Amino acid sequence: MKRTLAAVFLVVCLFPVVWAETALQQAEELYRQGKFSAALGIYETELKKAPNDPYLYYNIGNCYFKMGSKGLAAANYYRAFKLDPRDSDIRHNVTLALESGGERFIPTGIPAVLHKAFFYLSYAELKGLTFVFLWLFCTLGGIWLIKRKWGKLCLASAVILLLTSGWFYIRHTLEQQSLAVIASPVAEIRSGPGTNFPASASVAQGHLVTLQDSKDAWYEVIVKSQGIKGWVEQSAVEKI
Amino acid sequence: MRKTILCLLFLCFTVYAAGQVSVTAEVNKTSLALDDELTLSVEVKGASGNMLMPELPSLPAFNVYSREVQQSSINGKTTTLFRYIMLPRFVGKATIGAIRFTHNGKTYKTDPITVTVYRNAQGVQNTRSASTTAKTVSNGNYDSAAAVKKTVEKADPNLPPLERNLANQAYKRGDENFFLVAAVSNEKPYVNQPITLAVRFYYNRSFYDAPYQKPTVSNIFMEDAGSSEGTQSIGGVLYRYTEQRYQLTAASAGKATIGPATVRYMTGSIPLSPLDRLFGGSLVSAEETAQSAPITLNVRALPNEGRPKTFYGAVGTGYTISAEADHTQAEAGEAITLTVTVKGPGNLKATSDLETPVLDGFKIYPTQATSENAAGSKNQSYKIFKTVLVPSASGIYTVPSIKWSYFDPVSASYKTIHTDPITLTVSPSTKTESGFDFGAGKPGNGFQTLGRDIAYLKTSYAPGLSTLAKLSGWETLNWIMLCWLGISVFFASIGRKSLAQKKAYTKARGRLKKAQSDEAVAEAVSGYLQQKLKISTGSLPLRAIVESLQKRGVTPAAAESFSLLWQRLDTARFAPGAPDAQNAKELAQQALDILKLLEEETK
Repeated sequence: MKRTLAAVFLVVCLFPVVWAETALQQAEELYRQGKFSAALGIYETELKKAPNDPYLYYNIGNCYFKMGSKGLAAANYYRAFKLDPRDSDIRHNVTLALESGGERFIPTGIPAVLHKAFFYLSYAELKGLTFVFLWLFCTLGGIWLIKRKWGKLCLASAVILLLTSGWFYIRHTLEQQSLAVIASPVAEIRSGPGTNFPASASVAQGHLVTLQDSKDAWYEVIVKSQGIKGWVEQSAVEKI
Repeated sequence: MRKTILCLLFLCFTVYAAGQVSVTAEVNKTSLALDDELTLSVEVKGASGNMLMPELPSLPAFNVYSREVQQSSINGKTTTLFRYIMLPRFVGKATIGAIRFTHNGKTYKTDPITVTVYRNAQGVQNTRSASTTAKTVSNGNYDSAAAVKKTVEKADPNLPPLERNLANQAYKRGDENFFLVAAVSNEKPYVNQPITLAVRFYYNRSFYDAPYQKPTVSNIFMEDAGSSEGTQSIGGVLYRYTEQRYQLTAASAGKATIGPATVRYMTGSIPLSPLDRLFGGSLVSAEETAQSAPITLNVRALPNEGRPKTFYGAVGTGYTISAEADHTQAEAGEAITLTVTVKGPGNLKATSDLETPVLDGFKIYPTQATSENAAGSKNQSYKIFKTVLVPSASGIYTVPSIKWSYFDPVSASYKTIHTDPITLTVSPSTKTESGFDFGAGKPGNGFQTLGRDIAYLKTSYAPGLSTLAKLSGWETLNWIMLCWLGISVFFASIGRKSLAQKKAYTKARGRLKKAQSDEAVAEAVSGYLQQKLKISTGSLPLRAIVESLQKRGVTPAAAESFSLLWQRLDTARFAPGAPDAQNAKELAQQALDILKLLEEETK
């Protein structure tokens, strides 16, 4: 009886793991058969269970890319990149998706090495690193204050903490920007939040925009690559 | 027997009757204006086989400008009608002499016909009111009912709508010599549905110098669709016409108007000779205008329901689509031209371009579209989409079926047609050395960049969060560490006080070494007690100071030594004698020894 119960318990515990692997395999099979829409459905279901999994965002981006929705693909690759910036596949795909929309992943004039270094750590990792240096500084500072020992170490930790905090501050500022991607094939940029305002430009899908304001079903945006400001229908934009 | 004879007689009579040839001549009117025209009809009954044209007499008073022959056969009897349209040249009575017709060596003659030519239509009206004779038949038959009663003819209902409409309009205006009619093939077309507009200029007499002004349109695209000429009998009168056709497509739903077409013409004969004018001939008339009635179309919008994604705007019936590749076997990097051809009625120029399917493994260049009318047809057009595909790698590829939808106005529904899939076999490139290169690859080094695509799927979940990322959640520890720092600062400030205590002895020793008087020694000892032991020597008696020292662990012996020193210092402070450096030095040394003892005992 005990053995039976143990077996049932084991099956119940392992079922979600086995099911999840099967779901990913199933999605991959569909992807290989060219049934991208069906594969996308599975990945999106899985994402509800693991909302911070960069690989799921990456796979969703792949499905959208193959379906021709370069804007939605870029948005999902960007989400994956924010969670796992060191993954070379993610970096490759986000670059390709943005380039297909006429955008540059690495801003003009910034060396690729510097960009890579700046985004070597994810936001959470950089935050953790800043905390670690804060704790180190506090420890050494306390020791120095009380015991008057390890003064140089304390000084070095203070300098490192200062640099890390600066890095973290810039990343935090970027993180606070409401970034979005044009998701509809073409979005019209108007001078006001409504179709009664004239359209000043049209932007193809895949272009990066920063959201400035919102009113009713409209976003005020700045197209990063063009520096154009205007209003776009919310349905045409995918927030990252 | 009698019956047989009767039958034979009847048969002989029939044969005789059939063999009889009769020739009659008639005119459509016996009085006419100078700018009017006269139709002379010569009817030959009973003559068949080869026959000559009737021999007209000399007609100096008329210009004959049109001849027509019609032949019919009823019950084996052939009737041939020769019709001449003539224009009078002079005012007054004119006689058409006997017309001769020769058949099988026998000559037949008609009676002469006299007509009166008036200068204008007013004279004709006056004559008609005075006489009921409108038609003269040379053999003496008189058909007044046919001449007076005018019935409007109707077009054959089996004719196409456009032809029927034109014919009916023409019948209504059959009493005019020149008129212009216009009609469309469909007055309620859908947006972008091709319809035909025909403008016909009818005339039954000569004219010259007739500039034509085509109709103006609104909300419609109009294209010339050719012109033609023909004849039509209206009310027994032969009219000639010139027709101009246009193909129309409405741009948007709602009302669309086709303005009137106009022809400005001058009637009459060519300018007359001076002799003609002398005998009453006239010059050409003033410029006159014929105008068609305007037409209003009710353009219907295309239904949104059921509109396929592959609908590019074509409206019509019977479209076809085909696709072909210029070659289905190619090397990697070799261009293949995919041609998609759409054929059908109407104007395909207005349709938007076909979306070429995305083909993995191919570099696809932008589609070039051309649109023309089909050769030899004004109503059929085609649109050709040419796309260059360059395979980047070897393999067997399939260009999928390409769908194309149109709206069928007959069934009022959308219909989708498609091409057949095309299989392309691509072999590896043999042009490695000087071959193609899409990107960074350097030809000749054995490496070629064939194209770029996204990286493949991730087949597992992402590894868990890194330690650093996990630490970002330990925000509470920040507060703990900051508290620790605060406490350290607090303790450090306390530590600074103990430092002062520690330094009290060193400070006192320095002062004692420099002391030159008893007061200086007293102040050094007093400062030490103040800094080290927090004992205020100014307000406390000696006994209280000793008790304080003993409380801090000073032994009674040391306390006694201190008491003796303090008394001596008191004496020096309150009853000073003559300054004695030697004495002060000894006192300083004694104080130093005692302070050292206190320092050791209070550690």
